[in-house]
Amino acid sequence: MFARAREIDTEQPPSRLGRALRVHGLVEMDGELTVDGTVLGRINALRLHLSAESRVEGDVVAQEVHVEGRFSGRIFAQHVVVESSAHITGRIFHNTVSVAQGARIDGRMPWRPPSYFSTLTQLPETRL
Amino acid sequence: MSNIFTRNEPSQSDKAEPQKPVEPVAQAPVKHPSSPAMAQASAQLITPSPSPQPAKGVSLISRALKITGQLESSEDIQIEGEVEGDVRAAAVRVGAGAKVRGTVSGDEVELSGKVEGKIEARKVVLTGTAHMTGDIIHKDISIQSGAYVNGHLKPEYSKTENNG
Repeated sequence: MFARAREIDTEQPPSRLGRALRVHGLVEMDGELTVDGTVLGRINALRLHLSAESRVEGDVVAQEVHVEGRFSGRIFAQHVVVESSAHITGRIFHNTVSVAQGARIDGRMPWRPPSYFSTLTQLPETRL
Repeated sequence: MSNIFTRNEPSQSDKAEPQKPVEPVAQAPVKHPSSPAMAQASAQLITPSPSPQPAKGVSLISRALKITGQLESSEDIQIEGEVEGDVRAAAVRVGAGAKVRGTVSGDEVELSGKVEGKIEARKVVLTGTAHMTGDIIHKDISIQSGAYVNGHLKPEYSKTENNG
């Protein structure tokens, strides 16, 4: 019983940075993170969802990134999905990427082998 | 243990049911007198309760999340993880197990976890598991038995409000 309750406790609540929230700094998440608000700085996560209302400036490192909002900076992720409402300025380092029709991307999308992403924990400092 | 059984049995009945529809509908309840109850039980187990999903404006900093820097929100923030830096929001709830190093300010602050730094709020609630190191600037405070407080309590919130 207790083991089960604990499982739910650690897995269930997906972290959410709400619409009205503004974070300046480093966000580190060992799991899934949804951003509805504003983040200036750096986000590390396993899976990251930048919703349509989000605004992120800086660097993002994750295994999987879904972008629906505004982003400016660099994305480092093996799998990147850019939705039609996205508005991206900067570079998307990826292994697989999909871009929906209507998305606005201004920048480069360099391809990298999977091994590249395993060495990303020591990323050069985020410039804002 | 009981969960495992209730989980497995509905899946068996699920497999069994697709074969039944050929037969008249009236017979189905007779053959599986217990299955509707089981199905309900399994539905309760499988469908997630609505509470873990917070409303869109509300921010949830879960246990696995760590933020270094400033957080600012015009709505509520619930912190279960770790924050190094200042937090400012309408209402801040620092859950048991959460850790904040910095200033926590807002209209209402409810502390069940650990704060090292300062709390500035109109209404401050320290629950029994609260661990507070630093000053608390408040207008209205309640401290439950069991809370640890090391610092000054200053009922000066209205003054600081004018500054910030």
